[in-house]
Amino acid sequence: MSDVVLEINNLETYYGPIMAIRGVSLKVNQGEIVAVLGANGAGKTTLLKTISGALNSSKGEILLAGRPVQNRDPDWVAAQGVAHVPEGREVFPFLTVYENLMLGAYRRRDAKGIAGDLQMVYEYFPALKERTSQMACYLSGGQQQMLAIGRACMSRPRLMLLDEPSLGLSPVLVKSIFQVIRRLNQEQGITVLLVEQNAVVALQTSQRAYVMEVGGVVMDGASAELAQSEDIREFYLGQKSAGVRGTRRWKKRKTWR
Amino acid sequence: MSTERPPHRELTIHQIAGCDTTPKLFLKKVAERGERTALREKELGLWQSYSWNTFHERAMWIAHGLRSVGLVPGDVVAILSEDCKEWVWADMGTMLTGGVVCGIYPTSQPPQVSFCLQDSRARVLFVENEEQLDKYLEVRHELTEILRVYYIDGKGLRGYKDPKIQSVEALYEDGRKAWAEQQGVIESMVQSILPEDPAVIVYTSGTTGKPKGAVIPHRALMFQMTATPTPFRLEGKDELLTYLPLCHLAERLFSLSLPLATGATINLAESPASVPMNLMELSPTVVFGVPRIWEKSYSRVVTLMSEASWAGKRVYAAALAVGKRRADALVDGRKPSRLDEVLFSLADRFVFHNIKQMLGLDKARFLVSGAAPISDSLLRWYLSLGLPIAELYGQTETGIATITRPGEFKPGTVGLALSGVDLHIAQNGEILVRSDGQFSGYLNQPERTAETVVGGWVHTGDVGKLDPDGSLRITDRIKDIIITAGGKNITPSLIENELKYSAYISDSVVIGDRRSFLTALVMLDKENAEHYAQVHGIPFTDYRSLCARPEILALVEAEVGHVNQKFSSVEQVKRFRLIDVLLTAEDEELTPTMKLKRNIVSQKYGMLIDEMYASGASPRPAKPAEE
Repeated sequence: MSDVVLEINNLETYYGPIMAIRGVSLKVNQGEIVAVLGANGAGKTTLLKTISGALNSSKGEILLAGRPVQNRDPDWVAAQGVAHVPEGREVFPFLTVYENLMLGAYRRRDAKGIAGDLQMVYEYFPALKERTSQMACYLSGGQQQMLAIGRACMSRPRLMLLDEPSLGLSPVLVKSIFQVIRRLNQEQGITVLLVEQNAVVALQTSQRAYVMEVGGVVMDGASAELAQSEDIREFYLGQKSAGVRGTRRWKKRKTWR
Repeated sequence: MSTERPPHRELTIHQIAGCDTTPKLFLKKVAERGERTALREKELGLWQSYSWNTFHERAMWIAHGLRSVGLVPGDVVAILSEDCKEWVWADMGTMLTGGVVCGIYPTSQPPQVSFCLQDSRARVLFVENEEQLDKYLEVRHELTEILRVYYIDGKGLRGYKDPKIQSVEALYEDGRKAWAEQQGVIESMVQSILPEDPAVIVYTSGTTGKPKGAVIPHRALMFQMTATPTPFRLEGKDELLTYLPLCHLAERLFSLSLPLATGATINLAESPASVPMNLMELSPTVVFGVPRIWEKSYSRVVTLMSEASWAGKRVYAAALAVGKRRADALVDGRKPSRLDEVLFSLADRFVFHNIKQMLGLDKARFLVSGAAPISDSLLRWYLSLGLPIAELYGQTETGIATITRPGEFKPGTVGLALSGVDLHIAQNGEILVRSDGQFSGYLNQPERTAETVVGGWVHTGDVGKLDPDGSLRITDRIKDIIITAGGKNITPSLIENELKYSAYISDSVVIGDRRSFLTALVMLDKENAEHYAQVHGIPFTDYRSLCARPEILALVEAEVGHVNQKFSSVEQVKRFRLIDVLLTAEDEELTPTMKLKRNIVSQKYGMLIDEMYASGASPRPAKPAEE
């Protein structure tokens, strides 16, 4: 199928002796926002790192538009159109906002296109435009996150990997960042694979979602449907049906239906 | 085929060391055993031992404590908890007051809990923790007879105040005081408990209608303590792993009654999921397993071997071939050849020993399977490894009735009747049992009791045959026997067992009553099927998507085809569907021992069944696997 941007089959990744990803299969279609939910240590970040080539897999395949990209160097994968916005933003602290953004377009040679995209990024993130010559380390956390996303946009990615964009941000900022992500998706047609712990916003933003636990997918489906699932409501959305005593400490057993 | 009916007799009251009830025997044995270990349980990952003295002390605290809140002999105490040491203490504490213990499956939902408590008119309830307590609270308005509820684990309950609800520690405290004031009260009360007094109520999962509470008297428990014949007889140095719910009669007999008689030590498994791990840690000498446990261990070995190196596979295959030859000889009643015995000891030393160690069966001297039929092939596989598994047969209503004798390998039979048990096959083929260990009747259901116990004989609802040597063969449940549209009688359990032998099939239900061909609903073995998919690069996300993969369907089809080869054409499963919901013990489709319930499964998945029998399409014969 031509409209599948990313297809992962039976992926396994190790950290030394520890199997962090145990056979994950998933698909991302052109123009979609797909979320991966999961608790700490479920293997979400590892999954993104394996896709972008920062980690090697030991088994399985990663197909970008039908072409295998697993176990290639990260720069090669990036050249294929995968932009990774890492967890904790990782902007270059002593470069200016402008320099950071231009690094995103490092491999591009179309000056006109680059200039256009720069304008586009400034439009989406007006805060960056006001600070073009400021060093990135002086930006607030939210602004740094915008910068990291903006930098990714500068490569005109076929697929954007977003790792916990809500990390350490205030609820208001989270809202506005995700608004931009949605707009980038709708207006610019950027396909997004989004890893998030904030299940509420992730399920609102995405069309489809996968739930990971201890390295494997336990559930997947349309985000709206998942948001209705009892297990997701209790374990990810924190909506407990009130017990007889009002509060209840115990958790029901997960069934993933 | 009917046999001569043995003449009428009265049930015998058995005694052990001059004691005819469980609490009497307990007081006597505790005095003898003192500081020896009675029980082990893991606490924060470490095994902790508890002596018979501790057991005695806790049981006495509970007994005195229960008496002080007003429990009188004959009152029912219910326990709603996973297996834990407090379960064991509370059980004995109740019996010491002349009370009756009613275990409730911890997977029960509030309405079932309510039914059991009302039906048994329980006065006191022990709950494991907050979760189980909430079940009670949800239905407490229906439960007016309950005097007190004691919780074992107080996490999440600090600050919760309710006059009826207390921690088990508070009960210990009450009991300690009462004991100091009233020395000897319990001891003299125990003397007045009679063998025919009820000891336990076991609720049997009614597949139709309400559950039935089978009343088990002390007589039955005492008889069952004599049940394992020499040389299976348990000893003080024996170790058992307790992992089935203690409210199940079989686990009670193995983990509570037999150790009481013999002094064997029980070890409580952490959780059902940790059973393989706990087996490996402990290497128990006595392993009572439901077929599922034996199937699991077997599939673990099969999966491991499929990943072994080329050389490893060859060595395993060669060793197994020797083991099989020897096993076949033993089953046929021949002496294995000298050469085979030598080869077997080599195979045992270099291959089987490691496997047994990995499974935690390296010290097991008495392996026994019961509670459900087990497949022939599985028994032969274990025998090939040098692990003869005895099979026993019994029901809640009859207790353990038959057991296979050591040195006799007759897969397909469940052994000879215990002494004290009479067997009789009725005109319609039904197995009738008269045992000194049979129950006294169903609680509040005299009509059902009268249907089940006729003229002193328990009608088991199973069809079977007696071999000339007296060994019993079980065919199936009467009501499960399939009569096809062609008029052929088929026993589905035979086919289901062979299906279960596949590493990829955890259970199945064969259907075909008044139909023109057989079909099956199949439940995958999740772990092994996922492993297969992973090894063969079959992408899937959740369980449902795994079940929908054509490769997995093909795999199951091949397994079904393989089983079909063993049966005649009418007995072959022509079509199947996978149950694509991952079922847990909380689901009504499964018994607490994780077996599929035929009735409920057939109802719930009626759509799938109709699909298989949809008119038009002619049945595609499942082809045998190509090998």
